[in-house]
Amino acid sequence: MGGFALFHLPTIGQLRRSATPGQFALALAIFIFLILFLVIPVGTVIYVAFTERGTGSFTLVNFQDFFSNDLFMRSLWNSIWVSAMTVVWASVIALPLAYLTTRFEFRGAVLIQTLGFLPLVMPPFVGAVALQMLFGRNGTFNLLLDDTFGFKIPFMEGLSGVVFVQALHYFPFILVNLSTSLRNIDRSMEEAAQNLGCSGFRLFRRVVFPLAMPGFVAGASLVFVKVFDDLATPLLLNVKEMLAPQAYLRVTSIGIADPMGYVISVMLIVGSVLVVWLSAQALKGKDYATVQRGGGGLSKRKLKPLEGLMAYSVVVFLLALVLMPHFGLLLMSFATVWSFSPLPDAFTLSHYGRVFDDSWVYVKNTLIYASMAAGIDVVIGTAIAYLMLRTKLIGRHWLDWLATAALAIPGVVIGIGYLRTFYDISLPGGAPLASFWMIIVLALAIRRLPYALRACVAALQQVSVSLEEAAENMGATKARTVRRIVVPLMAGGILAGFVTSFSTAAVELSATLMLVQANADAPLAYGIYVFMQSAAGRGAGAALGVVAVVFVGLCAFITHLIVERSQRSKGFES
Amino acid sequence: MTRSLAATTFATVVLLSSSFASAQAPSGKVSVVTSFAKDVTDPFKRAFEKAVPGVTLDVQNRNTNAAVKLIEETRSNNQIDLMWASAPDAFEVLKGKTLLMKYSPQATGIPDKVGSFPINDKDGFYFGFAASGYGIMWNERYARANKLPDPKEWQDLAKPVFFDHVAIAAPSRSGTTHLTVETILQGEGWDKGWRTLKEMSGNFRQVMDRSFGVPEGVNSGQVGVGIVIDFFAFSAQAANFPVKFVYPSVTTVVPANIGIVANAPNAAGAKAFVDFVLSPAGQEVLLEPTIRRLPVNADIYAKAPKDYPNPFKDPQFQKMISFDVDKSEARTAVVDTLFDQIVTFQLDGLKAATKSIHDAEAALAKKDNAKARALVTEARDLVAAMPVSETQASSEELRAAFTGGKQKGARQSELEQQWSSFARERYAQAKTKADEALKLAR
Amino acid sequence: MTQSLAVASREDAKLATADVTIHKVNVSYGSNHVLKDVDLQIRAGEFFAFLGPSGCGKTTLLRLIAGFNVATSGEVRIGGKDVSDLPPWKRDVGMVFQSYALWPHMTVAENVAFGLEERRMPRAEINTRVATALGMVGLSHLAARRPSQLSGGQQQRVAVARTIAIHPKVLLLDEPLSNLDAQMRVQVRRELRDLQQRLGITTIFVTHDQEEANTICDRIAVMKDGVVQQVGAPMDVYEHPVNLFVASFLGTANIIEGKVVQDGGRRVFEMGGALRLPVPEGAVLPPGARLVFRPQHASLAAPDSASPALKGVVKHREFLGATVRYEVEVGTSSVVVDAPFQTGASLYSAGDAVGLTLPLSSIHWLAD
Repeated sequence: MGGFALFHLPTIGQLRRSATPGQFALALAIFIFLILFLVIPVGTVIYVAFTERGTGSFTLVNFQDFFSNDLFMRSLWNSIWVSAMTVVWASVIALPLAYLTTRFEFRGAVLIQTLGFLPLVMPPFVGAVALQMLFGRNGTFNLLLDDTFGFKIPFMEGLSGVVFVQALHYFPFILVNLSTSLRNIDRSMEEAAQNLGCSGFRLFRRVVFPLAMPGFVAGASLVFVKVFDDLATPLLLNVKEMLAPQAYLRVTSIGIADPMGYVISVMLIVGSVLVVWLSAQALKGKDYATVQRGGGGLSKRKLKPLEGLMAYSVVVFLLALVLMPHFGLLLMSFATVWSFSPLPDAFTLSHYGRVFDDSWVYVKNTLIYASMAAGIDVVIGTAIAYLMLRTKLIGRHWLDWLATAALAIPGVVIGIGYLRTFYDISLPGGAPLASFWMIIVLALAIRRLPYALRACVAALQQVSVSLEEAAENMGATKARTVRRIVVPLMAGGILAGFVTSFSTAAVELSATLMLVQANADAPLAYGIYVFMQSAAGRGAGAALGVVAVVFVGLCAFITHLIVERSQRSKGFES
Repeated sequence: MTRSLAATTFATVVLLSSSFASAQAPSGKVSVVTSFAKDVTDPFKRAFEKAVPGVTLDVQNRNTNAAVKLIEETRSNNQIDLMWASAPDAFEVLKGKTLLMKYSPQATGIPDKVGSFPINDKDGFYFGFAASGYGIMWNERYARANKLPDPKEWQDLAKPVFFDHVAIAAPSRSGTTHLTVETILQGEGWDKGWRTLKEMSGNFRQVMDRSFGVPEGVNSGQVGVGIVIDFFAFSAQAANFPVKFVYPSVTTVVPANIGIVANAPNAAGAKAFVDFVLSPAGQEVLLEPTIRRLPVNADIYAKAPKDYPNPFKDPQFQKMISFDVDKSEARTAVVDTLFDQIVTFQLDGLKAATKSIHDAEAALAKKDNAKARALVTEARDLVAAMPVSETQASSEELRAAFTGGKQKGARQSELEQQWSSFARERYAQAKTKADEALKLAR
Repeated sequence: MTQSLAVASREDAKLATADVTIHKVNVSYGSNHVLKDVDLQIRAGEFFAFLGPSGCGKTTLLRLIAGFNVATSGEVRIGGKDVSDLPPWKRDVGMVFQSYALWPHMTVAENVAFGLEERRMPRAEINTRVATALGMVGLSHLAARRPSQLSGGQQQRVAVARTIAIHPKVLLLDEPLSNLDAQMRVQVRRELRDLQQRLGITTIFVTHDQEEANTICDRIAVMKDGVVQQVGAPMDVYEHPVNLFVASFLGTANIIEGKVVQDGGRRVFEMGGALRLPVPEGAVLPPGARLVFRPQHASLAAPDSASPALKGVVKHREFLGATVRYEVEVGTSSVVVDAPFQTGASLYSAGDAVGLTLPLSSIHWLAD
């Protein structure tokens, strides 16, 4: 039945009534953008999954192969298990941080929000090495444990190792979205519960958390999908029996004309879209818009001394844990030699000297690319969120699904697709369009769009429709209402989306590696990659990694400051 | 060293200017796509730009696969002049797709072969510019802590003491590892070769998906021993990492290559760079401590530091039978996929069987038992069993399954499923038999 | 009423206002028929209420006038002009939302100025209008505050000020008092009525509270299940309900079931417990009619009293100040009777047998 509904073409009249011409045009523009920069490029690569070897005719036999191959099935279950467990552990880390920083008068809440966010900014390769140096089989912790107690903990072994690293890496998605949701809960909701005798943890479990559900679900589904589709971490831990690494290994092996890599990519896309669809179903019919009467934000309470001690201990412990990789990175960047020892042999500043000349152009490029990409993302993300939640436009969910599918597409597939699609189009002057740096920006924007989109959807879900109706009633058109009411009220969520897109785009490598056509156009991640190809470049790569982290962290910090300030000026806190 | 470098540079300039007197003088930007690290490319860039004024070398770093894909995807509007990477098979792929340009370098003094491997493509599409030998690299601190002996030969790595301490890059992911595997298969024969490979593999800690992953693991001490190409170890030593390296008595040296991309926008510049790299001045750059690769010009070794390996003289490089490039080429995909399906993705089963065999043999060494010994032999045979024979491996039918041949036939995924279940079942049986043997021997 | 007139009179104290006609309006969502053939004429300058229990369609109807809902069929005319195809922002209809819908990111003054800015008015005029509107609701001193810093009653007034600042042709109030405490409610509803009188603006008020509707509205429309049951001045509707629903929704009504039987050529209403009441000559009884009367219209007397009465027993007595409310069991029914309280008057106690007297003129015969 549902299948029929999808393919039931609406009449012109139904379309006309479903949205205003402006909304229709907007939807069409986004649709064209996604077709042009996502569907076509990716299509040129993954259509192989549906063709028969030799004849090139359409077939589904490759999918049959997928389901009858032990390795692929095992990989599928591993991926699902790892993703689910990561959501659990990431929540365990994110919940206390989000709750404590939004609910209590907590010194340095902005700092915590920013620091807690840094794990997303893990530069390629160096981050992996830094993690190994600390948590690996012969990393700092295990060497010390072995010396003192004679045993080791396999932090980074196998699937549970992947869960450990992924939880550290991706919990910020939950943290950011959940914090935004918590900030948007009307204080009266909480007070009503307290009034009815509900307090402490029960209050959180029964009232606050359910109200923050849209943010949590947005973050959790993002984490699930991200882990489901991530290949860097499993590969760094040398876990190959998961779907994304399988797809990657196959797509990038030279000289093999095998459709299975693309079949797996298709499975990844289907899986990711399914999860997003399920999370949308889970939230359906729950009106969580709670900021209605102008009073937003939970009241911030003072902690009692003992509570404060406990809360700070939890926060410090969690932060220390999640910032370990960065600490490792910092050590590496100052290390002469660090090998099979808890700490480096000696320290030096020379690595920074080595990267100093190169890094400026990388930083500049990264700033341009990542901010443009994130800018595109929040604009499109806000637009899609609006079309989805505020109009009855037929097919509006397709925009969401399309945009989300980008999450599941390996960067290298996007990279190849872009080359294929845009290389033959010449710029004025003869150079191919694909060599124009804007193409990198578009690739990054497409890759990070799902992040911004989820944040925007969660933000809009919490804006009461009556606020918009009031504006229309006062004479503002839909477009004016969006500009003057919707966007300002979504600002926190939009900025969260911007920061997420920006920071992850800043360290993205897989798509850019295919698309960087000149050293002068290269971003930071590429610079790190170049250094990390040799033993002597390790320290320099780490130094450049530190530069990347500091730079992105600063940007995130400034954005958080702006958010806090604007929230405060809106009276979300008093 | 610097002075001699300057001298040769001067010589090259003279040489180059004379050789290009008639041809179009190289100028402008020369774009090279390479898998080599900055440590390798920077000295070359400096030396080349000095030697040929007016030319700038624009280096784009990519892993070999990405580089091949890039050249392939952008052929219609090619902006790249040169491909510069280790793995000969990547160049074979490019050559097969007519993405390389034929050229006859000016350089002299470069022999046909290094070790058992031909230096240049026989058709003149790509050229070896440096040799590298495969060997064993290990971390001294790790070895001390885990009481590992110094390995000397490949067979040492199959010993129980190295169980769970060894790493290698997957041959499907590393062209140079592929050549090593192929060298063993050609040197020892298909069945014996695989037996050796699997005995070693039973001790693997990890099968990495990047060539550089192995030396990085050894450098950081996360794995003890790595099967790596020599310059990884040399450059790590140059960076003071506590690592050691040895060429086993039977090894192979393989050339790292450079080739001009078809329709190169700056063909003159590309040719100039190839000539520079093969000239004595370019060859001498290879001796820099951060590079440490083996020149293909035998004369350069006179300027090398003491103890610098010389593939033209040192005995271990001469022992290998000659390498059959065509045979290797014909079965590349089959060998790589076999390795992935029966080793990489079955490593747990293989290691479990290997551990049981080691334990049983250790027990037998203390107290012999004929029946148990027979069981262990059976177990070893089960581990060594191969789903594909040597003839099948090169057969047109199997090749077609991997290369997307035009006719219908078995699909890659089907074959993989067959091979992996073959291996999984036998590893499980081998473990059962070895465990049985252990019980008997106790 | 013409458009030019409306513009010209914006500066007047009395706003140019308009009548609202709702003509054969139906709204359905799928199989859910929310409004059924609604026909209403709301006169210019009138204070009109949509009254009914929740789910009766009153809010839907209001949102239809504002343009947030679309009618499946029928039309809405404001000032004689069909606005069915006009978007909300072109209707010049001001709405005060139940939640007030004040924008948290703007100050009180900015909230009030919003609609004027959207009308591209000169800044100076906007400032004057904002000041006037805030002055009208007595909040001039809070112009710089944020909505979150205001009390509920203040927020409500800002919402009203924001709406009247644009000088709408029609003012819509969606349960504006529901978020206020009882005292505030009484005060605010008076203010609303005063404001409406001063501005002379057509105002439509949605409520489920009959007391609110009765106290401030000129006319009310009682709604149930998407159907308008009765329209009229509150007193008329109270006095002459057209059906059982209206009778019981407006005020308290005693409803006694029974059937009409013929007794010697006369119609008699027979109730449970073998009680009978003669039906007056000429009374029109709808099929399935029940006997309906207001508590204050019946009177109690001693059972042995001579006048014809229904015999009953007092079950409860409640003292309400001005009146005493008795619950009396009559036959199998239980009815409520209010008697005026006077000092020294004798009261009945629970268990007392009483005779219940009903003036025939105050009896209604109503069906569903």
